[in-house]
Amino acid sequence: MNLKPLKDVYIIATMKAIPDIKRQPLTLIIITFLSFIPLFFTYFFGGQNYAYALVGGMVGSIGFIGLASAVQDITWDRYVKIREMIVAMPVHPLSYSFGVALSKLLYASPGFIIFIVISTVFRILPLSSLGWVIGAVFLCWAALSSIGFVMSTYLRNANINTLNNVSNILGILFIFLPPVFYSEQVWGSFQWLAIIFPTSNAAGLIKSYAGISPLTSEIALLRWLVLIITTVVSLLLVAIKSRWREE
Amino acid sequence: MEAVKTVDLVKVYKGKETVHALKGVNLSVKKGELFTLLGPNGAGKTTFLRIIATQLLLTSGEAYVFGLNVTREPKDVRRHIAVVPQDVQTYGSFTPWEYCYYFSMLRGMSKGEVQRNGEKALKAVDLWGLRNRQCTNLSGGERKRAVIASVLCSDANLLMLDEPTSGLDAVARRKVWAVLREMVGQGRSILLTTHIMEEAEMLSDRLAVINKGMVVAEGTPQEIRGLAKEKYRVVVEGKLEDISALQAICRTAKFGSRQIFYFKAEDAALELTRAALKRGLKAEIAPTTLEDVFVELVGGEQYEP
Repeated sequence: MNLKPLKDVYIIATMKAIPDIKRQPLTLIIITFLSFIPLFFTYFFGGQNYAYALVGGMVGSIGFIGLASAVQDITWDRYVKIREMIVAMPVHPLSYSFGVALSKLLYASPGFIIFIVISTVFRILPLSSLGWVIGAVFLCWAALSSIGFVMSTYLRNANINTLNNVSNILGILFIFLPPVFYSEQVWGSFQWLAIIFPTSNAAGLIKSYAGISPLTSEIALLRWLVLIITTVVSLLLVAIKSRWREE
Repeated sequence: MEAVKTVDLVKVYKGKETVHALKGVNLSVKKGELFTLLGPNGAGKTTFLRIIATQLLLTSGEAYVFGLNVTREPKDVRRHIAVVPQDVQTYGSFTPWEYCYYFSMLRGMSKGEVQRNGEKALKAVDLWGLRNRQCTNLSGGERKRAVIASVLCSDANLLMLDEPTSGLDAVARRKVWAVLREMVGQGRSILLTTHIMEEAEMLSDRLAVINKGMVVAEGTPQEIRGLAKEKYRVVVEGKLEDISALQAICRTAKFGSRQIFYFKAEDAALELTRAALKRGLKAEIAPTTLEDVFVELVGGEQYEP
């Protein structure tokens, strides 16, 4: 069995994360604190809705890091020509994109772990649901990283300001507009739309495990299926659309 | 089997403007030789190199690396090559050692090999003492050498370097030259692009002059120099009066108060040198340089009477 593609994911993830974390550990702390801002405001000003903010923070921090890593980091690699050097190596494009996405996941993981600890200590999430929660967030991250990676292939000549704007717009579109930080019921008769966004879909599943807005087992199954399909389609898009070799 | 072989290689960039970057290039790089692509900016050197490096798709024709087709077998080609792109920037937080380590690991080399080759490569480019310093804290030349080291420590048989020494000072450049010649001595093949004439002349086993997407000359540096119509040049500092007679028998180029006269025969060149010296002007006779031939081949010089 050829394990090189997996080994390459690990090498790229460590090369993109470890030197930076080692030399700029403050970045890790800042990212962790930033992901707690919605929770902070909701807890102090939103009263009972902090459980929504906890779920939203979990999904949002991981989702945003997926989008940003793909759009900004991969394009930055192109600018410094690291990507060009890697293209000419025996490395699969999927190993590269997942390595990059995984490297940023390392940055988001302390925040995510703290969210999980808070959720379980304060009995918002039952221990038995942790596997499902991590699975839903992982699928959401994989889908958003893939969407970001496909986007980055169309932003070959964009400057760093455009890239920042694009990843922020995608963040708004996928994380802040859909019902991630708030209840799907706000969307009234359109709440079924929440299922098509990997973020709000994952958040909906986690909210149901937290008992905030319970789902029937059929609906939960359907939502898992849609989440898996969305992720697989996004991954396929990466495999098909990503322009590893320029035309 | 050649390290690189191209047959009628064509590359057309389609966009707002259609650009014919390569117009049927036929070239071959032998195993164990250092081959240089010499050409003015926009000649197609980088396009050629990027196609061979499997970074860019060709429009038509064929390109092979050690007999492997770059379009149909890119994965296999990539096992044999290592590339330093043009205008490469260093990744700020990396150290020279990390450049060597991570890129070699991605090539599938073992940790032992990486340790051995990394130390050798960094010593060769004189960065061993700075191996653990972040690239942001290195000079421009040192950063460039860090990237070059990452390629040197690879196990690739074909190294491709796109203008690797541009921006380096003369001392650093010569260090890189020495390392590249050493690599060739070990049996590796090198494909290099440059517009530094001295580099092409000092380093190349063979070179090709490329202009507007076409190969206009190919051979050893001596053979290319031999293409000169005039074999001698006389550089005169100061104003030579009444040179109309000279212009009838030689080509001239003028740079302010300095003029270059090109002669086919040594006698005529000597005669002009003596005449200039007699008038109290500075004059120097020398064989035509590769740069003279290059300028003649690409038709870039502005001649003034």
